[in-house]
Formats: sequence, C-alpha cells, structure tokens
Amino acid sequence: MIEVKNLTFSYSKEKQALHGLDFTVEDGEIFGFLGPNGSGKSTTQKILTGILKGHGGKVSLFGQDISTPHGPDFFQKIGVLFEFPYLYANLSALDNLSYFASFYPKEQRRDVRELLEMLEFKPDFLKKPVSSYSKGMRQRVSMARALVGGPRLLFLDEPTSGLDPSGAVLFRRIIEEERKKGTTVFVTTHNMVDADLLCDRVAFIAGGNLVALDTPKRLKEKNSNHRVVIDYLYQGQRESKTIEAPELEAGIPFAHDEIISIHSQEPTLEDMFIQYTGRGLS
Amino acid sequence: MGKGFCSLFKKDCRMLASGKFFLMALGFLVLYTAYVNLGYLRFMEMEPYQVYLYDPAGTQTAKSPLVQTVPSMEEMDAALLADANGVGLDASAGDVQVVLYKGAEHIDNHRADYALSLLRPSTSPAPEVLGTYTPEQKARREITCELLFFELAAVGFLGIAAVLFKEKGMGVIRLHAVLPLRKDLFLLSKLAVFLLSDLVFAVLLTLLNVGLADGLAVLPAVLLQTAILSLMMALVGMLCALLLKDFRQFTLAYLVIAIFAATPVFLSANTSVKFDWIGWHPFYHVYMGLKNAYFGAAISPVYYAGAVSAVILLFLAVQFVFHQEIAKEG
Repeated sequence: MIEVKNLTFSYSKEKQALHGLDFTVEDGEIFGFLGPNGSGKSTTQKILTGILKGHGGKVSLFGQDISTPHGPDFFQKIGVLFEFPYLYANLSALDNLSYFASFYPKEQRRDVRELLEMLEFKPDFLKKPVSSYSKGMRQRVSMARALVGGPRLLFLDEPTSGLDPSGAVLFRRIIEEERKKGTTVFVTTHNMVDADLLCDRVAFIAGGNLVALDTPKRLKEKNSNHRVVIDYLYQGQRESKTIEAPELEAGIPFAHDEIISIHSQEPTLEDMFIQYTGRGLS
Repeated sequence: MGKGFCSLFKKDCRMLASGKFFLMALGFLVLYTAYVNLGYLRFMEMEPYQVYLYDPAGTQTAKSPLVQTVPSMEEMDAALLADANGVGLDASAGDVQVVLYKGAEHIDNHRADYALSLLRPSTSPAPEVLGTYTPEQKARREITCELLFFELAAVGFLGIAAVLFKEKGMGVIRLHAVLPLRKDLFLLSKLAVFLLSDLVFAVLLTLLNVGLADGLAVLPAVLLQTAILSLMMALVGMLCALLLKDFRQFTLAYLVIAIFAATPVFLSANTSVKFDWIGWHPFYHVYMGLKNAYFGAAISPVYYAGAVSAVILLFLAVQFVFHQEIAKEG
C-alpha cells in the first residue's frame, strides 16, 4: 500500500527534516508512526498525503509514485484525520459532513447519520453548530469526516486526543473494524497505549531518522532483560525476589509458603522509545 | 469538477450569509441610495449665489434678471449680512465695485466673476456643448461612481478577508488540501461569489441612483469595470488574509490601503488637487475606468491589457500563498 525508499526532505538548505527513511506499509495493516515533536513525523505524513512536494527518494501509494501529478482520484482513496478537529464552526455536524461528503463519488460515500451513530455522537447535537460542541464531540465529527469518503487508506494523527477513556476505547474499536474491512491505517501518535493496542507494527522516528521498526511485542521482547519479580510469603514474612525467567522452567527455585504475584520485567513501548532515541515522546 | 465547484460555492454563500455579509451589502445599498437621493442631490441643487446691485443712476441696463436691485447701500449691507454667500455690486460711483464677505480666495474670485458676468449676460461666449447631461444627471453619475468604487475597494475587500480569516482560524483551509478537488476551485468559488455579489450590487446601485434609462445605457460598461475592480480587490483581500497572521495585522494593512491608496485617487479625480505621480497609481486608472464607464467615454485597450495582467498576476500570487498555507503545520 505504502512504499517509502530513502525519503529525504529539506525545508531549507540548512534544515533537513528527513534523512532517508525506508519502510513499507502492507494492505490492511495498522502502522504506527511514533516520534517526539519536531522529529519529522508530520512532514512524512504530509508527503504521504500529497500535501508537501519536493521530497527526495521514492514514495509510492497504491503502486503509484507520489511525485507524479495526482489529482482528485488519489484523494478519493485516502481519508485524513488531523491532530486538531478542523470543522466549520458555524455549520452543524450534519452540514459539515454533507459538505465534505459531496466531493466524493456517490457510490463511495458513507451515510453520514450512520457514521455519527457508530461514533456514538449525541443525536441532540446533530443540527446544532459545531461551535457548541465539546472537544470529544468535535473529534467524533472529524473522525466521521475522515471516514465519509470510504477511504482505502486512512491517515490518523492522534486519533484519541480529546476523548475520555470510553471514547478512546470506541475509537480503537472503530479503527479495528475499518481494518477488518480492508482499510490500511497509518497512525501518528504520542499515545503509547494506542500504539501498543492498535498497531501491527510501529516505527520510531527521531531527528528525521527511522531508529526502529517492528511489532510492538517484538520490540519489547528484544529489549527485555528476561527477568521476573516474585512476591511471596515465607514463614509469615512478605518478601520479593528477582530471578532470570528461564529459572522458572524447573519451578520456583527458592523456599516459599505462598506466591503472591509474579511480574515480568518487560519494558513498555515508551521505555523502548527512550532507549532507541534517548528522548521522551512529549 | 463542476460538482465540487457547486459545493464550494454553496458553502461560501452560507459562510457569507452567516457572517451577515449580504445583509450588510443591502444595508449599504439602502444607505447610499438614501444619501444620493435625500442628501447629495439636494445639496447639489443649492441656489446660485444671490447678486445684489445698488445702481441709483440706472447705468446697468443689460443686467440679468437674476440680479436683485436694492434701493440703498444700507439695504445691500443688510442683505449681505443675512446672506453671507451673496455678492453685492455697487454701481453708485460709475465703475462697478464688488462687495462681499471674505471667504476662500479662489471661491471669492469665482463669486465676483459670476456676479459681474450677470451684468452683461449677452456678451458671455456660448460654450461648446459636449454632452447633454443635466446637472442632476451628471451629479448622479459622479456620486454613484464614487460610492461604487468605495464599496468595491473598501467593503468588498474587507468582506473576503474576513471570510478567509474565519476559515483560516477554523483550520478548514488545510482540510481542502486532502479533499478530492482541484485546489484552485477553493479560490475560484470565493472569487465567483464576491464577483456575483458585486455585480448585483453595481446593477442595483446604478439603476436606483442613475435612473432606469440612463443606468441601463451605461450598465454593460459599468459591469465590466466592476468585474475588474471586484476581482482585483478580492484577490488583494485574499493575499492579505493568507499572508497576515491575524485580523489585527489586517486592520493595519486595510488602513494603509484605504488611506494611502484610495485617498489620493479620490482627491486627484474629484478635486483640484493634482499629484504628478498619480499616473503611476494603479487605482487611479481603475477609478478612471469606472468613471469613464459611467460617462460613456472610451477606455484605452492598454488599460484593459494592464487590468487583465494585474488580475492574472494577483491570482498567481494568491495561488502560491494558498498552497503554502495548506501545507502548514496543523
């Protein structure tokens, strides 16, 4: 679906934003693109969505080189959710979505009301202006806007930003459902929970370089110290011991009366990011 | 492409309607019409200067009927005291002496010449008649031209910038970068809405204030000039809205354009104030184009070539800035 080879981009002679990125995103994959502010992830997304021109290297979407002139046909196949819920504040959710839907072919358009229902949008607000919506409601309408053209490739920038925990769960479920329908999803996020739960693979970008790319599970495993922490009771005392995981194969290798808990020492995705880049995500 | 343009056009109309732009234009139309018909024309219909003559010997036999004879100097003084714009002529000593209350020198000279000309109306040379406008027709055309120019240059310019600033603030300009439509349509639909609105305004303003028959006669030429000015001002408004950070900065630019660009044009075209460099001022030519259209005068093809080139250059500049804006950070 997406093929990026040696992607470079400079805003000026002195300011090179991307230093030769290489990655591919397969059809129907949820691909996470993680990086701190100013790392080049927005630049990459803008190149992939055809907004930013003048890059070096090769970028192909749907098997077509993005450098060759691409017209409305290209944009009919993609949906983009921006970090901020950009909408016409004086129009209602229905009017906004009807307007944006009108640019897509009829046979491709999704039903606006169904989409909003799926996103658990409050029906009372359907005809009220967006200016009266909460941030979470705006995010729901923005998600509906990204989906209204029935995209084959979905770019999501911080999809769960501004949502409460139940809203974030709903969005993750919807993204999963879109993938099941065959949509490829490119997620840019700071949210490690989203990346961990949603993405088939994640790429870490720092300073315009791709520093790691793998499944979240493998990234964590590769960097695990393979130790477990065991909390237990022995002769009425609560104690804790850290041992190498393989030692457990022959059972608990020390005297104890009762095991309280066993915790693996696997690093989190954020730990991995800091390890690879030496920087936090925010 | 046509469908996308219709969607954009409808949306722009809604934006303008919700921003009360059409209501404001209607308000201006009513205000201008009321000003022309109830204020300006009445002022222009003001009586000529009254001329009072004291001629005890009856030497001024060829005087015009507009001259009022007074029996004594005391009465002339009393008449001039009551009517300070009036002019007195004292023929009691043989030669005629002009008596008046002093005002601006060039106006005083004009008043004196006018009063003296009434003593020998038959000797004044008959002027060559270039047109058949009555003073009212001329005044109506002049003031309608000025009001239309003001409306297009100041109000329309402000309107398009306000709409773009609103869209910029909401971030929706960037959304259009990823929609399946030709990006230039976003600009063209706005130009079309403002152009149509300005043309309708020009038609109504002209017919209501120049008159139906006279208005219809000049309308094609006026609409062509309106289209040129409307496109230019809409593009300048777009350029400012896309380049400037916020409405406060725009207000400053607006003042600069309104004061330093439009004022010298009005002064040069409508008063005795002359600037040597006014020929280099693009607005002067556009204003004169509109004025010539109202008076049915011929307009040079060089002007049209310049105007079309200016519109094309402005559009290219707006297109460039627009593409930069849609690629900006979210």
